[in-house]
Amino acid sequence: MSGEGLVDAERRRFNRIALAPSLIVLFVIAGLPAIYLVVTSLTPFQLVNPGSSTDFSSPLRNYRLLPGDPRFVNSLWVQAKLSFWGVLLQVLLGMLLALLLHTQSRVVEFARTLFLIPMVLPPIVVAIIWKLIYTPDISPLYYAASLLNVTMPSLTSSVDFALTAIIIADTWEWMPFTFLMVLAALQTIPEEFSEAALVDGANRLQIFFYITLPFITPILVISGMFRLIDSVKAFPLVFLLTGGGPGSVTEVTNYYAYLLAFDFNEIGYSSSVTIVMLLLVVAVSLGVVWMGRRREAMA
Amino acid sequence: MSGPVRRSASPRRLVAIGVTLIVLLSPFLWLLQMSFKSNDLILQFPPPLIFTPTLQNYASLWQGAFAASFVNSLMSASFSTALALVLGVPAAYALSRWAGRGKHALSFAILVTRMAPPIAFTIPFFLFYRWIGLLDTVTGLVLVYTSFNLPLVIWMMQPFFETVPSSLEEAALVDGASTRVVFLQIVLPMVAPGIAATAILCFLYAWNDFFFALILTRTNARTAPVAVVNFMNYEGWEWGKIAAGGSLVMAPVLIFSLAVRRYLVSGLTAGAVKG
Repeated sequence: MSGEGLVDAERRRFNRIALAPSLIVLFVIAGLPAIYLVVTSLTPFQLVNPGSSTDFSSPLRNYRLLPGDPRFVNSLWVQAKLSFWGVLLQVLLGMLLALLLHTQSRVVEFARTLFLIPMVLPPIVVAIIWKLIYTPDISPLYYAASLLNVTMPSLTSSVDFALTAIIIADTWEWMPFTFLMVLAALQTIPEEFSEAALVDGANRLQIFFYITLPFITPILVISGMFRLIDSVKAFPLVFLLTGGGPGSVTEVTNYYAYLLAFDFNEIGYSSSVTIVMLLLVVAVSLGVVWMGRRREAMA
Repeated sequence: MSGPVRRSASPRRLVAIGVTLIVLLSPFLWLLQMSFKSNDLILQFPPPLIFTPTLQNYASLWQGAFAASFVNSLMSASFSTALALVLGVPAAYALSRWAGRGKHALSFAILVTRMAPPIAFTIPFFLFYRWIGLLDTVTGLVLVYTSFNLPLVIWMMQPFFETVPSSLEEAALVDGASTRVVFLQIVLPMVAPGIAATAILCFLYAWNDFFFALILTRTNARTAPVAVVNFMNYEGWEWGKIAAGGSLVMAPVLIFSLAVRRYLVSGLTAGAVKG
């Protein structure tokens, strides 16, 4: 008995020593910056005006300005459109792709890896690839359109198409993610279910709607939420394809915060924009955790 | 749609898969083929599909400043990976064996640092670095990359440690080995494949970064992703160099991803939240 007590004590001591360095480092390189971001958001800090970094005379000024800033409100709206259509397309196309590739064949199993390429490419390379597709002079897409005698408008500089152009690129990049998740879910469906249904005379559409879909719905929701959280990170696409334009048609909140801090030198105001964005992301993330728990409880 | 799983795919399905694959990958393949074309060929209309490939774009990259940025990328990605592993692997082990209260809260707190949009870190890092002189240094990049690689290590390594049977550790402890010895000599060798997979994912995350490098570096520590974008300048776009540079930036990614494709999902979803 006393021997076990000693082992436990040593284990606890070991755990402390093993965890401490990570926690200290994380506090210094993640915790402190987060605290500092909050502090800056309470000041009118501008790089050109050094004294402004410690001016706490009106701490909530930035936050009061936000609702009346049309560019900020517009950026949330743009982000909402980008996230909504992007997530919807990625979940639907990812599901179709997973259904297509859900088969036990050697060749197909090898091919699955190739479908993941867009997701693992460096985001800036994805942006370059789509810049190439959207640049009329050298684009294979525009060449193909000219063969069909169709004159295509310049997608990235058109008010009507610029956001769509980004959504298409984002979907290309991230559809493999939802595809992977749905494929994993499909593989957990017991084969007997659909076999029994086939024997009972169900057609494939019925099997899909009554057996497959209920099985994969939770994973569709979860992978959609993952993508929703990450959709604020579409920065390289916006940066390279449209620069937020034309006007501010594609200016997502992330990009607006970037411009504020590093183009307009409005560090303090940019920090408050970032914090509002951060709170929205955390709220969505907590939602995902909650849904994950509920799913575990149901299983 | 999805019927019972077949042992072999029908020819119709194979054709559909093949066509989808070609359509999906053609944008990527277009960049790749362009990297082997001279600028004249790139601008030729209609675009020639059959041509004599040239390595001229790659050669000019290698003689220019791009080579240095490639080395910067290699260094910042490898050092941040090493740092995150050294700190994170013992922490993940401790967390996986720790039954105490607060474990979930702590794990979630660690994860929050990965959910945050990059801009949330860039502003404070930029100001700190400006103040202590770490702007435009590889050391500066290593520290930022560690801030998102360390949580990844802690989250990804825990399930690997959980697969090590505790009876094995208990036997060694009863025999008088210290927890440290058990960890180093028994547990670590058993999770070596997990460490390798985690290391590769960390490397890729740092390697793929564009945002931090864009803001925190200028010329000395500029990384390859930023250097490629610099080929898009006011005098005109050097598409040959852009294509070749882009291909070089994605080369390690493609090679490594193949190696860790089994762990890809857990690594990528740790970027968000575990469901």
